[in-house]
Amino acid sequence: MKKYNEPNNLGRFGDYGGMYVSETLMPLLIDLDQSYQKIQKDKKFQKELSDLFKNYVGRPSSLHHAKNLSAYINGPKVYFKRDELNHTGAHKINNCLGQILLAKKMGKTRIIAETGAGQHGVATATVCALFGLPCHIYMGSKDIERQKPNVFRMKLLGANIIPVESGSKSLKDAMNEALRDWIKNVRDTFYIIGSTAGPHPYPKMVRDFQSVIGKEAREQFLKVEKKLPDFLIACVGGGSNAMGLFYPFLNDKKVNIIGVEAAGKGPKTNQTAATMTSGTPGILHGSFSYVLQDNDGQIKEAHSISAGLDYPGVGPEHSYLKDIKRAKYYGVTDKEALSAFQLCSKLEGIIPALEPSHALAYLVKTFKNKQKGKTIILNLCGRGDKDLFTAAKAIGFDADE
Amino acid sequence: MNKLNNLPKKKILSLFMTCGFPNLSQSKKIFQEMLSHQPNIIEFGLPFSDPMADGPIIQESSKIALKSKLSTKHSLNLIRSLKKERSNTAFVIMCYLNTIQKFGVKKFTNEIKNIVDGIIIVDLPFEEETSIKKLLDKSNIHLIKLISPMTNKKRSQRLLKDAKGFVYYISATGITGSNKLDYSEINKNVSSLKKQTKTPILVGFGIKSRKDVLAINSKTQADGIIIGSALIKKYFEENMNFKKYLVSLNKFIKQVKI
Repeated sequence: MKKYNEPNNLGRFGDYGGMYVSETLMPLLIDLDQSYQKIQKDKKFQKELSDLFKNYVGRPSSLHHAKNLSAYINGPKVYFKRDELNHTGAHKINNCLGQILLAKKMGKTRIIAETGAGQHGVATATVCALFGLPCHIYMGSKDIERQKPNVFRMKLLGANIIPVESGSKSLKDAMNEALRDWIKNVRDTFYIIGSTAGPHPYPKMVRDFQSVIGKEAREQFLKVEKKLPDFLIACVGGGSNAMGLFYPFLNDKKVNIIGVEAAGKGPKTNQTAATMTSGTPGILHGSFSYVLQDNDGQIKEAHSISAGLDYPGVGPEHSYLKDIKRAKYYGVTDKEALSAFQLCSKLEGIIPALEPSHALAYLVKTFKNKQKGKTIILNLCGRGDKDLFTAAKAIGFDADE
Repeated sequence: MNKLNNLPKKKILSLFMTCGFPNLSQSKKIFQEMLSHQPNIIEFGLPFSDPMADGPIIQESSKIALKSKLSTKHSLNLIRSLKKERSNTAFVIMCYLNTIQKFGVKKFTNEIKNIVDGIIIVDLPFEEETSIKKLLDKSNIHLIKLISPMTNKKRSQRLLKDAKGFVYYISATGITGSNKLDYSEINKNVSSLKKQTKTPILVGFGIKSRKDVLAINSKTQADGIIIGSALIKKYFEENMNFKKYLVSLNKFIKQVKI
């Protein structure tokens, strides 16, 4: 099979991806694409980014052999890629640093972003504070309610938070509003998209900035195990942490790749966010990919206990990897994720975010007493601090003061 | 015969309204009222759940229409029922790509053939249009080009090369129903576009009064205007009283028809 080389210059991963936006944004996206191509070859830019990764984020994040969890499942040997140890508590900061450096290069003076769980919002607010740029974060009012600690964090960091009341009042609607803001303020504004979604060049650019995860993991794993892992597992909402881990392994055909989506109350119910297991190809937020939609192409509301996965679309590259069968995608329910959240905390002394708890749940349920002698890297892409109230409520623990 | 080929030279009036708003039967009455003024063009907006290029008023109208369980098929049937051979008003559909894609591009084109003269697909840029445009061309339906203040000359030349019907000039870098109108900037850009194409240039986005219409007509070289949000806004200003709305709509259209 030929070497993986997606997307093409129009941002196509097979048929997926592309640029489906109004003419107001097109010239901007073309400009962004050209600027992005330039900085890829710009050594000074790359050096600045890797310095920030090292000294500001704390990269490389460690690769931890999760011995207790491995013993518990009595199956493969499990490693955690610990991106939850990053500054700001998740992988989101990798991409934000890359994009804000690019924004500076392009002479943009105002930053906007959307956020679901608040991790991308916090990361964006953080880099804006670091670079002294005004920051406006669009966040669904439902998410503001369930991610209060992150809302406070963003405010402390100096960001202006704009509650979004339209639609399902979560990530999808926040992205609509951020796009509207961008259309209105094209000249001075840079839109830092937090996932591998949106129009080209975002899916590619975000993947590239996040691929530091997979590059490190590959190197670290080779060093300790002297071989490549048999499985990679990551949770998929829009899909940025997963693409970050998967991308550097795509040409390693023996490495099995698994993406875990949030199936909410179940993939066959109307309350799911499992886009690739329950959706069909369509156009949302400027790109062609799997989406949750009805027979008329109206986008459905997603549901997940995890605000970061509560999105009815998915990055176009995941849709492509699914169709060419390079990666497999499965759904995990709220309930399963919640019990994995508790299990990981008790067994490994690591409180994971609800997002990677979905990946953990899939791991436990699929590999228990199976595939002994095999190895797995699971991307622990975020820590659970932000989810304490949501989890406590779901478990039935009174966490109020 | 495509009615967009017979537009007058100046003062072209295009009126936009969301299909199925506030519900199917009242929507028909609204369009009939609009048609009675014989505007040059009527734009039928197909409601979409995620109208990312639209402002709050059109968003709200789409939401209300969708709440009444409106389907694409309902909208297309409504448009068909309003078609009259003797009328000079051109019919244009304005929608988002996913609506057509899900319906099936071929099937959609067949449904609107001989009824609709043009189509504006808000989120289908020049780069992605090829296959759809082929089908539309075959059915004599013009794919209307959008030009924004961000479109540079090199790009607009490419876009306008095969422009047909009219060109939709987005008057502000904003979403539909935005506030500011900068006439000198509009004139500068429209004049430049006029040199690149013979197709009429219509200015849309942010036009909300007779004053705006007169100003666009006297201060710029534009061939006409498009009004959308301002027509829908009256509904909310009349506290959703349908009878009062029709009266107010009638009055407003008379004002903007110059």
